[in-house]
Amino acid sequence: MTTELLTTAEPEAGTAPASGPPQVWRRLRARKSALAAAAVLGLLVLLALAAPLLAAIEGQDPNAYHDTLVDSARGGVPFGDFGGISAEHWLGVEPGTGRDLFVRLVYGARVSLLVAVGATAVQILIGVGIGLAAALGNRLVESLLTHVTDVMVAMPLLVFAIALMAVVPADFPRPVLLAIAIGLLQWGGMARLVRAQTLSLMKLDFVSAARLTGGSTRRVARRELLPSLAAPVITYAAVLLPTNIVMEASMSFLGVGVKPPTPSWGHMLSTATTWFRADPMYVLLPALMLFVTTLAFTVLGDGVRAALDPREASRLRVGRGRRKARTSGAGGAA
Amino acid sequence: MRHMSVISRRVAAAAVSVVLVGGAAAACGPKEGDDAKGGGAEGAPQKGGTLTVLNRAPQKQFDPARLYTSGGGNIPSLVYRTLTTRHRANGAEGTKVVPDLAADTGTPSDDAKTWTYKLKDGLKYEDGSPITSADIKYGVERSFAAELSGGAPYLRDWLIGGDTYQGPYKEKKGLDSIETPDEKTIVFKLKKSEGDFPYFAASTQFAPVPKAKDTGAKYAEHPVSSGPYKVVKNAGDGEQMTLERNPNWSEETDKERHAYPDRIEVKSGLSSAVINQRLSTGSGPDAAAVTTDTNLGPAELAQVTGDKNLAARVGTGHFGQTSYLAFNPAVKPFDDPKVRQAISYAINRTSVVNAAGGSSLAEPTTTFLPRQKPLGYTPYDHFPAGAKGDAAKAKELLKEAGHENGLEITLTHSTAQNFETSPEVATAVQAALKEAGITVKLEGLEDNDYDEKIHSFEKQPGLFIAHWGADWPSGGPFLAPVFDGRQIVKDGANFNTARLDDPKVNDEIDAINKITDHDAAAQRWGALDRKIGEQALTVPLFNPVYKRLFGKDVKNVVISNWTGVLDVSQVAVK
Repeated sequence: MTTELLTTAEPEAGTAPASGPPQVWRRLRARKSALAAAAVLGLLVLLALAAPLLAAIEGQDPNAYHDTLVDSARGGVPFGDFGGISAEHWLGVEPGTGRDLFVRLVYGARVSLLVAVGATAVQILIGVGIGLAAALGNRLVESLLTHVTDVMVAMPLLVFAIALMAVVPADFPRPVLLAIAIGLLQWGGMARLVRAQTLSLMKLDFVSAARLTGGSTRRVARRELLPSLAAPVITYAAVLLPTNIVMEASMSFLGVGVKPPTPSWGHMLSTATTWFRADPMYVLLPALMLFVTTLAFTVLGDGVRAALDPREASRLRVGRGRRKARTSGAGGAA
Repeated sequence: MRHMSVISRRVAAAAVSVVLVGGAAAACGPKEGDDAKGGGAEGAPQKGGTLTVLNRAPQKQFDPARLYTSGGGNIPSLVYRTLTTRHRANGAEGTKVVPDLAADTGTPSDDAKTWTYKLKDGLKYEDGSPITSADIKYGVERSFAAELSGGAPYLRDWLIGGDTYQGPYKEKKGLDSIETPDEKTIVFKLKKSEGDFPYFAASTQFAPVPKAKDTGAKYAEHPVSSGPYKVVKNAGDGEQMTLERNPNWSEETDKERHAYPDRIEVKSGLSSAVINQRLSTGSGPDAAAVTTDTNLGPAELAQVTGDKNLAARVGTGHFGQTSYLAFNPAVKPFDDPKVRQAISYAINRTSVVNAAGGSSLAEPTTTFLPRQKPLGYTPYDHFPAGAKGDAAKAKELLKEAGHENGLEITLTHSTAQNFETSPEVATAVQAALKEAGITVKLEGLEDNDYDEKIHSFEKQPGLFIAHWGADWPSGGPFLAPVFDGRQIVKDGANFNTARLDDPKVNDEIDAINKITDHDAAAQRWGALDRKIGEQALTVPLFNPVYKRLFGKDVKNVVISNWTGVLDVSQVAVK
């Protein structure tokens, strides 16, 4: 009990940066929900990487048409139950074309995950760079960058993304282009966050000490500020990831996403919307994948945020203690 | 630009819009004539009630000079009577042209270069004043005014002096090539023979406009009606319209329109999902509702066919239209007939038809002319691909053409979700050609970009998905713009993508245009289509089938093969 009291008292005002990676990792491991989310994401990445292998195991090609599996007279709805599920087609086939849904879903994971991770990486790079520069630069740089950031936040993303996609040559790989487009247009929130965090960090003693000992702005930024910014940036990135997946989906929905016949969850969902009554499986599958991925990223992000926050960590331990007490009590009664 | 609007407007006029096309195997398509059946609720149609029309596209520019219609349009035809009109009957019978204001469909003379019409007796406008031949002349002249543009280009091409005439506002004297010797007679003098003139005389440009009541560009807000209904409200440029019975219209002079409902409410600007949902639910006024421009989509069709009550409320129509792959021989390798033939052999019409919505919404075709006798349909299959494509034959031809290691080509399509020129159809073509060793790169363009690019002589892609519809049910407007060498347009919209300029074809087109017997002309058009088909300048894919819902109180559903759409003038709601 005494140790617990000590830990709760320890991180009084959040003055110090989060503790080192080993402790963070330990706290993260303690959160079962975060671990489960990480496992789900790991599985999804594995699915995406192993797409050709899985296709070979099932014996299907993502772009092969199967005219005999759909009822042409009824608008091309798949024959059989649950969207034509069979031993050959594990999750059924796509209405109208008869293309295998399982293989298209795993190949679709490649596009959706690549775009989401790529776009988030671009957003972090630009956001952190601009945010730090705005916080550390002189008055001119600060006001210029702050205003640019304000404009970026206010900009209607989809309109600009569509324009950008129209300008770039048709041969450019679409998933990469999508990642860059979303990343280039949606870094405003990240920049604002980094600037605000940096400004509050600058007032703290350890930063002042580093500056007083003669450290250059660049050195202070690299050695003192960046490590302390990791927590909020990672947390925010975990929120951005699912947003970006949905963004890819809505871009595909508008026809500026990946090119057919490349499968993507967003594109599948957009063509599936009209089928929700006639062939519910076709809508449910990509919707479920998007839902699971988004949920997993959100839960994992929440876990990382908590693990990086020492206060949160101590509360966690208190909770565990209580739960233990309750179970032991129950055991006693039995 | 002249034909630019032909496609877009024609499509709007015939209420094609989001046409979901699908098809059956070539052999089991419906037979001519028995395909479009009438239908609707039980019981004899009665006068009275309010009919609601739920549409996506508004009745824009509701001025008879500006409307681009086929056979006078559907809703416009309720307000504007024309010299001739469509016969309001089911199926092939409905492709006939019949007299409307005129006593007959016209008397040709001088090799069909002169057309004379006599008006019926007792014709009146909504205010009771008489309709005269001078009003029809004035109506035609108005369509030449720059401020009232939008109609079909034929008048300008056909009438003597039409190419320079600027309309009655600038040139008060009028057109000399339209004569009105008395109040009941009107004579048109043309530059060349036009056996199809009676079909075109059904367009709204041939509706009478009383000169004294002409308000120029504002005329559309309250046009003077000659038909069974008058416009009492026209808001948002045709988005919301209310039509009420015209007391001065007499059924005795109009054998075609029935005008059962007392009132017609047109509500546009709705999405197709909303329209189809409202029609299937049919609550309140929607029980007496129809649509003239919205098809059932493949998914909606799958839903409707599973429900007996709904399935009984679907009208099936056939409009003369063909979706096809267009080759531009100016782009390599499409200059090589062997490559074009290889692609013709490789095409899998079953998957293309499925992409277009399945066999209930599209019928596969191997001819450029649609499967309708009045258009001259003559069966042929020069490059038999069967239902699923003949990849082996295609590979053989490619080898002969020197592409034994395969071929990479680009297919241009639009990103519009229309199941005609859309990505679904393009990917189906792509998958079929892959079997024959042809790698197809897809170039998907936003709809306006696509329209501009495929019709520009300079920028025309080597291979693209196109569709062509008939301005009236005849082979002429179907074949001439696409294959007449004199219609290659270098500085505007060019529809002769194949750049075909064959004196024999041109001469035959001129010769058929002199024929005024429609059946005889149809045979010659069919033979010409068959002959041109040998060159593999297009790969015909499918003809659309329209499946449209109507409300449960709707009676007397008549769908002609001229429009493929339920005729509003026949519908009763009581």
